[in-house]
Order: sequence, then C-alpha cells, then structure tokens
Amino acid sequence: MKKLIDFKNFINPIWRENPVFYLMLGLCPLLAVSGSVRDSLGMGIAVIFVLVGSNFTVSVIRKFVPSHVRIPVFIVVIATFVTIADYSIAAFSPEIHRNLGVYLPLIVVNCIILGRAEAFASKNNILNSILDALGTGIGFTIAILLIAIIREALGNGTIFGNPVFGTGYTPFLIMIMPPGAFLVIGFLIAIKQGMTRRRKC
Amino acid sequence: MLNEANLGLIFLSAFIVNNILLIRFLGLCSFFGISTQIKASLGMGIAVIFVTVMACSISWIVYYHLLLPFHLEYLRTVAFILTIASFVQFEEIIIKKKLPALYKAFGIYLPLITTNCAILASAFLGIDYKLSFIQNLIFSIGISSGYCLVIVLFAGIREEIEFSPIPENFRGVPIAFITAGLMSLAFLGFKGLFKL
Amino acid sequence: MKKKEVAGGIIVLFLITGISGYLLAQVYKVTKPKIEEQKRIEEEKINKEIFPDGVKFEEKCKDNISYVSVYNSDGEEIGKIFKVKTLGYGGYILLKVGVDKNFRIKGVKIIHHSETPGLGSKITSEKFLSQFEGKTIDEIYLKKDNPEGKIDAITGATISSRAVVDGIRKFLKKVKK
Repeated sequence: MKKLIDFKNFINPIWRENPVFYLMLGLCPLLAVSGSVRDSLGMGIAVIFVLVGSNFTVSVIRKFVPSHVRIPVFIVVIATFVTIADYSIAAFSPEIHRNLGVYLPLIVVNCIILGRAEAFASKNNILNSILDALGTGIGFTIAILLIAIIREALGNGTIFGNPVFGTGYTPFLIMIMPPGAFLVIGFLIAIKQGMTRRRKC
Repeated sequence: MLNEANLGLIFLSAFIVNNILLIRFLGLCSFFGISTQIKASLGMGIAVIFVTVMACSISWIVYYHLLLPFHLEYLRTVAFILTIASFVQFEEIIIKKKLPALYKAFGIYLPLITTNCAILASAFLGIDYKLSFIQNLIFSIGISSGYCLVIVLFAGIREEIEFSPIPENFRGVPIAFITAGLMSLAFLGFKGLFKL
Repeated sequence: MKKKEVAGGIIVLFLITGISGYLLAQVYKVTKPKIEEQKRIEEEKINKEIFPDGVKFEEKCKDNISYVSVYNSDGEEIGKIFKVKTLGYGGYILLKVGVDKNFRIKGVKIIHHSETPGLGSKITSEKFLSQFEGKTIDEIYLKKDNPEGKIDAITGATISSRAVVDGIRKFLKKVKK
C-alpha cells in the first residue's frame, strides 16, 4: 500500500539515486554554468522551484489529463514555471540572469524535470510529489555546487569570488574552460562508481 | 556581432568554433546515451539536423510574425517548445512508417529529441543574436551539423574504448566524459580562428 | 482512438495552455517594471562609477548615436558616456566609456563579454581598465601596436586587449567628427 507521506521519496534522490551521478540526467546546465559557484546556486534554486511547481501541478491535474496528451500538457506546465523563474530572476538579479543566459529558459528541456513529472508526479499524490521534487532538486543542486566548487577553486582560485588559496596560487585555467567541466564530472562519477562497487563486495 | 557577419562565418562559428556539444554543452543527454554505436549516432545526428532546421525556421516565423506583433514575448518558451514537440511527433510518425530499422535503433531517444536542448537552444540563440531568417537558417544548419559531426566522431572513439583496458572505476560513463573533455580541448583550438 | 477521446485531449490541452498564458501574462505584468527598475539601477551604478562627481545623468540621442550626458551639482555638463560594441576573441564585448568635455577618457567599464575565462576575461580587471583614465584619443593604442600608445596589453590576451582598445578609439574618433 502506498503511504500518504513517504520520506524515502525525499531522501533517495539526494544521494543514492542522485539525478546527476546515478541517472545521468540534466547534464547541460550542470556543465554549462558550473564555472562559478554563484551562478550554480542560482541555477540550483531555479531548478528546485520549477521541479516543485511542475510536480505539484502535474500531481493535481493527473486525473483529468487523458494519457495521449499528457506529455504536451506536462511540457506546457513546465514551460510556464520556467518562464516565471526566468522573469523572477531577471527582476531579482540581472547579473545572475545575464550569466545564466540561454541556459535559464532551457531548464524547460532539462530531462530531470519532465522525467520526474512523467515517472513520479503523474502516478503519486501531491505531498509525495512535492517531497520527490524537493529531494531531486536538492540532489541536483548539491551535484552542481560540488562541481562548481571544484572548478572555481582550481580554475580561478576562488569560491563565491573570494580567494581560497592565497595570492601565490596560479589558477589551473583549463578547469573553468569547457573541457574542465567534462573532466571534473568524469572523475566524480568514477569516484561514485568506485564507492558503489566497494559496497557491493 | 554575429548578425553582421557573412553567412559562411555564421555557419563555421555554429559548426565548429562554438560547437553546440563540446563548447556550449547542449544536447548532452542524448550525446552520452546514444553514442555507443556509429550507426545509431549517425541516424540520431541526421534526425537532429532535420528537426533543428525545420523547428528553428518555424520558431523564427512564430516569434517575429506572431509573438512580437501582439506583444506576447513572454510566451516564447511555451510557444517554441510546443512547436518542437509537435514537429518531433511528426518526424516520429514518418520514420516509424518509412524506416522501421532506424526506428528500432533510436529506441527511446527519438521522443527524447523533444527534450534535446540543442534544438530549443538553437531556436533561442537565433532570436537572442537577432539573426535574419536566412542567417537563422544557416545558423541552425551549422549547429545541427556540428552536433552530427561530433556525435559520430565520439561514437567512433567509444567503439574503440570498449576494447581497451581501462581502470575499472572509469568503465562506461566516466571514461566517456573524459574523452569528451579531451575532444572539447581540441575544439577549443578552433576558437579565435574566425573572428566574430 | 475514438473521436471523443481526441476531442477530450484537445480540450484539456487547450485549457492548460490558456491558463498558462493567462498566468504568464500576470507574471509578466508584475515583473516587467521591476526588471526595468533593476536595469536602470545597474546603469546608474556604472555611470556613477565612471563619473563619481556626476549628479544628473540624461539620456540623449544625436546622429543615431545614443549617449548619456553627465551634469555636476552646478548643472554644468561635465562629460558624456557612450556604449561601445567591439569584436573580441570569443564574441562581442559591450562596454561603457566616459569622456570629459575635451574627449579625455574618464573611465571604462566592461558590461558584457564572452572572452576566455582566466585570460581574456581579465579585460574587466581594474589593472587593465585604470590605464585608460586621462588618456586622449590618440594615446589609446596598445604599446606594441603604436609608439604613441599608452596601454599595456594583458599577457596572453592580446586579441581581447586590442579589441577593447581599438573599439574605443575607433568609436570615439567617429563620434568626435
């Protein structure tokens, strides 16, 4: 029997089934904006907002939507929340809005969000859907912050723009350039694979 | 500015200099998902070219002749994604009927073209750069050909990697990322080749 | 598929899109003035950084070039601020340049750029931009390009530096005419 509130829905996606490191979803914004911790935080918050909004709405309307039009309906719902997030960030901080650039409206096609709407929210009650959205969103935010901290610290010698290694540090430039994003995430997934493998033995 | 450059430069800039996969990081989900085989990658690449070019052109018309005249800019995201979604459906029906073998190879990735950010991104970028219709057309051809080129090259490398001795922890996805990182490094060399 | 089902799908999709459109219109109405307000505050902040003693900033347009006139507390015009677009290494660079009445540079601020992080992005650094202060148009060359030049290029980012320097000089020459 399905419980009304199941906190597993919240805990699981944060680490064990992390949307990024386990399911390999939502990679584009993850790589594109993770050059700076501040932008990543903005992206993470935007994704959490859209996820919660769309999971909630999809869960509310799931009983009225005929299955053959559900995908377009979900996409419209997601696009609505993305546009709200887009304009709110522009009103709140034009600088972050400019840095996120085209990647902000592109949250619409972030597979995590449609994936959660289709796989979870369309089959579960409202409370569980919100928990799942929060968990998934936080899992994504942790992943993007982790990558951003590594990239900004190594590549620019700063975190949130504050120097962390002192003045003598020569930045490892490649880290904040595009190739660095691929390398960091490659190594992080390798570490996670190693940890999972050891536990199995 | 991109919209003042000539068509050849627009094409090359979109094609390799600012490659959509390796420099702009768009369309990565399908990139890592499908690039294990050259054949499937080529099919996916061609599908993406077709959808991108058509969807971008339609989006351009929708934006400049429907949204702007009625001051509905805020519906941009919704309108574009719906355009693309309906277009992908259309393509899916055609491929299912005419090329069943290809349809099998695509597996779940064809419906996922809808959520392939490369396509929506080309539509957005074309608008953001204030390109004219013809420039937008060339731009979208450049972007999608860049996608096709890189995914096929990458699939070639991955097919070889399958038979190489790799540290166990790096098997599968991690080594794919590192390969992509090295390719991205190579493509970075094109930057500054054309002044835009 | 039955006709009824198709019609039901169409109606639901139509309804959802309608609600979404209405909602977005409301959000747009609420946020638009705020977005513009933010933009204005940001513009003003940059203008103030270039002309700390400016009190009134007035947007003007002459010969298809828009600029900002700066007035001091006595109501006297002390300079102008122009927006300059120039092609760098990774894309275009958008910057603001302030000049006094004799077309000596008062200050330069980079608004937007897409140069290589860590190399070309140093064009936003104080060390590079402060070199422009007090220079005349003919002095805005890179030292290595012209013996008259008084600007040092950034190590490893000559193209970006040159783009900024040439962009400003060419623009100001055009305006001065």
